[in-house]
This record gives sequence, structure tokens and C-alpha cells, in this order.
Amino acid sequence: MKRNLLLLKIIFGILFSNLSIYSQTNENIWFDGVSRAYFARDAINKNITDTLSARNVSNGYSLLDLNTHVNPIKDIEIFTQLRLKNSFGSFFGSGTEVNVRQLSAKGVINNKIRFSVGDLFLKQSKFTLYNYDEELLSYENDLIRPYRDIIHYENFYTENRWRLQGLQADFSYEFDRYIRGLDFDFFVTRPRGSSQINETTYTSDILLSGGSIISQINKQLIFSGNYINLFEPGSSGTKNISIRNPVHDISLHYSFDKEKYYIQQKLQTGFSKRFWLHSELDNGISDSTSNRIKGMYFELDNKYSMKDSTLSLSLGYRYVDPNFRSAGAQTRRLDYNNINSIYPSYTNMSLIRPPSIFDLLSDNIWYNQEISSTLMIFNPIYSNVLPYGDATPNRLGIYLNAKANNINKQFIAKINIGLFREVIGQGTNYKRNFSLLKGFLKVNFDKLLNLSKELSFYISSKSEISVRGGGELSSLNLFSNHTNASVNAELVNNLFFQSSYNMFLANGNEFITQRNNYGNINYFTKTQINQKEHVFSTGMMYKLRKNIYANLNYYWWGINFSELPYDDYKYNRLLLILSVEL
Amino acid sequence: MKIKIKLTIFLSLLCLIYSCTKKGFEGPSIEILYGDFELIEPLTITNKNPSFSNNTQVGFHCEFNKPVQWKISIIGLNTNATKEIIGFSNLIDSNLIKWNGSPNQVPFFSEEFCAIELTFENEIDTLRDTISIVSSKTYENGVWVENFDDGLPENGIVHYNNDGGGMTFSIANDEPLLGDSYFKMGGRVNWDWSLGNIDIPLEINNVSVPSENLYINLGILSDLQDLHTGQFINILISEETNTPFDDNPNNNASDLFESTMEVYKMKIPVDWNGWKVKSFKYSDFEPISPNNPDINFNMNPSDIRAIRISCQACPSSVGNPICPENFGKDVRTDIDHIVLTTNSNIFEQ
Repeated sequence: MKRNLLLLKIIFGILFSNLSIYSQTNENIWFDGVSRAYFARDAINKNITDTLSARNVSNGYSLLDLNTHVNPIKDIEIFTQLRLKNSFGSFFGSGTEVNVRQLSAKGVINNKIRFSVGDLFLKQSKFTLYNYDEELLSYENDLIRPYRDIIHYENFYTENRWRLQGLQADFSYEFDRYIRGLDFDFFVTRPRGSSQINETTYTSDILLSGGSIISQINKQLIFSGNYINLFEPGSSGTKNISIRNPVHDISLHYSFDKEKYYIQQKLQTGFSKRFWLHSELDNGISDSTSNRIKGMYFELDNKYSMKDSTLSLSLGYRYVDPNFRSAGAQTRRLDYNNINSIYPSYTNMSLIRPPSIFDLLSDNIWYNQEISSTLMIFNPIYSNVLPYGDATPNRLGIYLNAKANNINKQFIAKINIGLFREVIGQGTNYKRNFSLLKGFLKVNFDKLLNLSKELSFYISSKSEISVRGGGELSSLNLFSNHTNASVNAELVNNLFFQSSYNMFLANGNEFITQRNNYGNINYFTKTQINQKEHVFSTGMMYKLRKNIYANLNYYWWGINFSELPYDDYKYNRLLLILSVEL
Repeated sequence: MKIKIKLTIFLSLLCLIYSCTKKGFEGPSIEILYGDFELIEPLTITNKNPSFSNNTQVGFHCEFNKPVQWKISIIGLNTNATKEIIGFSNLIDSNLIKWNGSPNQVPFFSEEFCAIELTFENEIDTLRDTISIVSSKTYENGVWVENFDDGLPENGIVHYNNDGGGMTFSIANDEPLLGDSYFKMGGRVNWDWSLGNIDIPLEINNVSVPSENLYINLGILSDLQDLHTGQFINILISEETNTPFDDNPNNNASDLFESTMEVYKMKIPVDWNGWKVKSFKYSDFEPISPNNPDINFNMNPSDIRAIRISCQACPSSVGNPICPENFGKDVRTDIDHIVLTTNSNIFEQ
């Protein structure tokens, strides 16, 4: 026994002495990362008739994303993220994943040009390259936030950037007359590689390249220009048809301030082209193009902000042509070409279960990481006014965004209003009119009542109204509302009680637009909508530190359909998450 | 005052640009899509007396005012053979919508009159016409065909359990799928899975299509009389290139289907009455020994060396009662016309 103890001491001694030496002699290598344990148990509500599905199912995993930063020389950093993931129920290596999740190198050449190679996180203007937030995201409560954090992390959604792989370089100049500075940024990425369709046919690569120039003309005036182009180099595949989608964008940003407030005005415009190039045709036929469309956009934004941050107001006008196409800005996060991963079918007829807001908020399967060259489908129930964000084509209108809070942040309120209409009708000369109203109020009772423990309540609501006149066949009227109320109370130090109620209503009729492979509308499917969704949740959160927390929550969720062909459903979920940011 | 003028100009500008819209509309007209159905051009048939044996095709043309789900039904008035062609469009284009004389499933069309019907989903309109088939389509043009019309295939090996009752592993002529003969496979072996099989050597070295584009088509005959509910056919295809087909003459089956060889399998439960033609992509076949690391399952059609059609049924006797309800029942999985086709199945050739 003594001998074994001695042996153990020697082994530990050697191991730890090595680690100590290692960390002291390799200051150019450092680590961070994320670790997460996730467990969910879903159950069919006992009032629902579904004898074909399991009454309850559970799944989960634990993972470690270990980030390694290596600085071989002062101006170069090589970064890699290694993922170790083990699904619950896996033994002896089956179900265990080890993969490289990110790999990049970045640095500065001669203290002048900054470069990045590998995984890049790119963003330009809201009309050229921008990863818009998914619908239903705004003002989410603390019980949905863990899902939001996981989905955003898993899909690399950071600061509305798209994660792409390629090369980026930027540099800047400073001047002492005429203009103050000039910043340049260029990138080339490959969103999709060539793939084999059959033995003799390969699709082409899709490349996305672009550049930005920003010029600070004086203290008040900034000029910027962006260019981006999504294209397929024909030589990388065997198909003789390839897409081209260049977008040009310029903006002028004017700002000034007075004693108590700032005023910022921005004028932004640009245009796009999209076509398919037919090249290297048989019998010496010269190259040609098809499905060619051109479109422009224009936005005027005026922002008023108090210097003490208690009030900001933004009022603007936006016009986006029906033929404006920008793959980098119009690709959606939510991809409806999927089926739920939890209880994908339901009822004793094994119907495919339509997604609810809970699925869209919690199931990673609905989320997309790939740039789409044509407009992706959307569900008008959840987002009909601006399904492609500010870059939604065929919209013109005005908007107002406001945020207000008192100095101590006892009250925080936000309001967003948008009044839009179509530039051209769809399937009829009559045009849709859209109204959007979002509101949010948070009351921090702990600050209001001088409590030592955190106590807050918030309520938010988002309503969309879509209306179109015309005859009996083409008229439509769709109303949807998403209301959320939530309370967050600190019971003892760092232990929180949380409860929330989400309700979603949609009622009316709409036409779902169907497009062919080239994005041209070829059909409108008439749909009658009358549904009510709910998510009630309650749970506890223990926050060890800001980035280390454990959640234990229970959810009751489901949908009531008043229209055929769907049947109602209700489910429950128990969720446990332990998240550690290293 | 200046502020009022600026505000007025700004609001006027907003009103002006808010009204900046376009005339016309995108996409098809909703009034037409959801309005009354109208026929623009009647149904026309490009050839009313086709000779399908000469690879003639019959084209259909019709045009209507909106995209609808349409269906062309062709019924042989003697054979009751049927063919359905469906689509969703506002135009049936005779350059695209063609019939090659094949049915959707057996029976096959013969030299006969056929009734043609064009119907539209949710519409009462029905358009009718007739054609007369001068010569029916033949099914002997695959890359490899075994029709049993000349007896058992050359070098083919038939093996069945001699201890079984009513074993039928032989050529018969009473009700072939096509031609004159077919191969009967059936009998009664209550204690074991395998009743018997027929092994046929084949070489299609000149075929260069990938496995997704090679189709294995096979006619199977059964009946529902006292049906054995656990009967099925296994198709095994061997890509073993180093061993002769009949390496060991003492073995009464081919030597190309060992578990140590590159062999692929497809299982077909048989539970119907009469003939049925089944078609499978070669790529849908599964390796019989997927966990054997010594075998490279690269599935290359030009390496195919042999095919085995095996008649099987789950055992039902007291000693091995997997499906006891089938005890004493005869198995019947007769076959005809084993045809390998490229790029499409036998009906679409």
C-alpha cells in the first residue's frame, strides 16, 4: 500500500512539475474556451392522444471547446478551437466527437497591413453583408436566453456577422489635409465548396468577395462605400451555368452635438444585379445570361440621442426595390426547410408536427449557417413585415425606434414602430400594407425600492398587421401578436427564481409565395391561419460568476389550431444546463 | 420659421417617396390561380397509332389558364394495363410529356385500343380520347436480360432444400410475365429460412454508369392462397473478381457469395397476388458483411460477376417457431425477366 502511494506521489509530482515548467516556459501559448452540460427531458402532455410516440424522451451532452492561442512571434496569432463532445448514453467512444471547430491565423505585416486567414466573422452594411437577428428574438426573457446563447454560439452568430472561411486584409491611412483618414478592408471567402452530384457532374464553388472603404472627411462627416459579389467560378465545377450577384453600397454619415444631445444622420443607397451566366456552351455558342434583375435601395436615418443615455430616438425612411438581391444581407437565420428534432411527428396518424415558437427558440435544427443565393422561404405567421431584415425587398416605408430609461435604470422602455407597404403587388395590382409595433418595459424593483437582492419584471409585445385590399380572391388580412411577461427574483446570493409566460396569436389569411430555382415567383399558396401558442416556464438559476451558471427549468408549451389540417399539441420539458466560460 | 419650413419640406419629401410605387405585379395572377378553370387549348395526341416496339413515343399537349394538378390516365381496353402521368403546370408540353408504351405496373399493354383521360384536381372537367397500339413495347433491351425463355441460364446453378415438400425450383410455361417461360421458386421448408436459390453468372464490363444509375428489375409472381406471411426474396449481387463462378464443383451453389467477399443484398417481402415488377437502384443494396475491414465495398457495376435470387421464408416448425402461424403453408416466389437497365427502371426505358 505504501509502495502504491509512493508511486502515485511520484507520478503526480512528475506531472505537475512538468505542467508548471510548461506554463512558465511557453508564455506564447494560452488557452480559454467554453464548457457546457445540457440535459433535456421532453414529455407528451397527458391530455394529448398520441400512442405512437414515446411518452417521454431525453437527450443531452457535455462538451468542451478548448481554444488554443499560439503566438509564435509578436504579430502573429494562430487560433484553434478543438471540440470534445460526448452525447449522454455513449460509451467506449461511440457517440463521442472530437473535431476542430475553428482554425484561423491572424497578424500584422510590417505594422501596416492586418490580415486573417481561415475562419472569419464578417459584416459590412445592412444591405451588403449582415446576419440579421432571427424573428422572435427581440426582448427575449431569461428563461429563453440559455437557448438563445447556445444557438448563437453553435451557429457562430456574433454581432450580426456571418462566419465564413477565407482571407481578409485591412489597412488605413491618415492625412493631414483634405481628409482625415482612409480605411480599407478586403476579403475573399468560399461559403460553399464544389460537390459531386454524380459520377461526371460537379457543382461549382460559391465565392463571396468584397471590400470596404471608409473615409473620415472631417469631424462630422464620414463617407463609406462597400462592394460585395457572390459568384460561382465556372471552372470549379462541370455545370455551365453560374450565378453572379454584385452589390454596390455608399453612405454618408453626418453627426454633430450640442450641449445635451447628439444628432446623427445617415444617407445610404446602393444597387444590386443578379443573373446566371451560361458559359462554355456546346457548338461554339457564345456566353449568355438569364434571369437578370437589377434593383436599388435607399435609406435615410435620423438619430437623436441624449448625452446622458436616457433617451434615443431614430426616425427614418427606407425604400428597397422588389428586384434588389443581396445574398449576404438577405440570407435568413431561420431555415424552414426542416422538421423538428424533438417529436418530429405527432398524433396517431404520424403527422409531421409544425414548429411552434418554442421549437424555433430552442431547436438548433432550424438555424442556418450558409449564405443562400436566392431568397429563402419564410413563415408569414412569425415574420411578415421584414422577413429579410432591413434588406427585405419590395418594401418602402417609415420607421421609428425609441429607447428611454431614467438615470438609475429603474425603468427601461423601448418602442419600435414601422409602417411599410409593397412597392409592387404580388399576384395582384393591390399592394400589401404592413404595420409593426414592438414595445418593451422593464422595471428594476431592486433599484426602485433599494432592495439588496435583484428583483425585476418585464413585459414585451410585438404585433404585426398585414392587409391587402382587392377582390374576394386576392384580399388578405393577417394579424399576429407575441406577448411575453417575465419575473426574475434573487432569493439568496446568486440564486434566482425565474418565471415567464409567452403567448403567440396569429389570425387571418395570407398567400405564401413559392419561387423556382432562380428566385422567380411561380405560385401563391393560400393559407388560412388561426392559432394560439403558449410557453409557460419556471425555474431556478444559480450564477456562480458572470460567465458560470447553472439553470434548472421546466416548460409547458404547445399550440391550439382552430383551422384544419393541424391537430393541437402540448408538451413539457425539463431542462438542465451548466455553462462555464473558461 | 426656418425649422417649420425644413419640417414641411421633410414631411412632403417623405409623402412623395412613400407614394413611390410600381404598377403591375410580380408572379402569376391570384385572380387566375384561384379563379375559374378554363381550357385554352384542347388535349392533342401526337401519334394515335404508335408502334412502341420501334421505340415510338406518344406526346400529349394541352394548355389551361392556371397551374393545376393534372393527371393523364391511359387504360388498355383488353389488358386493363394502366399508366398514369401526373404534373403541376398550366401547360402539358408534348415535347416533355411523353409516353413510351410502358405501364406503371404489370399487366403490360398489348396491341389494343387504349382510353385516354385527362383530369384536373378539384375541377370537374375531363378530356377524353383514344389511341390504338400497333405494336407493344418489348422489354429485352436492358444491359443484361434473363427471361428464362431458353430454359435455365447457361452455367446457372439451381439449388434447393431436397428435404422440403412440394419444391418447385424449375422452368414453367403456364403463366409467364412476358415471353414463354418463367422460373418457379417455392415449396415448404418449415424448419429453416432458406428454400433455395438460383445463381447466374453475368458480366457487364462495358457498363460505365455509377451504382446510382444501375437498376435491377425483376418480375415476381405470388398468390394470396393460404399466404405464407413471412416469405421473401433476397437478391444478392457479387463483385468478387478473383474467384471463378463455380470454383468448387462439389459445392452445389456458386462460390461468389461468401461472407468474405464483396457482396450486396436487397430483401423483398412478397405478399401480393399475381405478377409484380420490382425495380431497385443498385446503390440501394446493402453490403452483406459491412463490418469486415478486409472488404472494400466500393460498389462498381462493371465489377459485377454474379447474381443470386434466393427464395426464403421464416421458419414455423416446433423446433424453430419464429412464425408458427405459417406452419405447413407453401411459399411461392416465382420470377421472370431479370433485367439490368441503366439510368432508369424498366418501365421508363
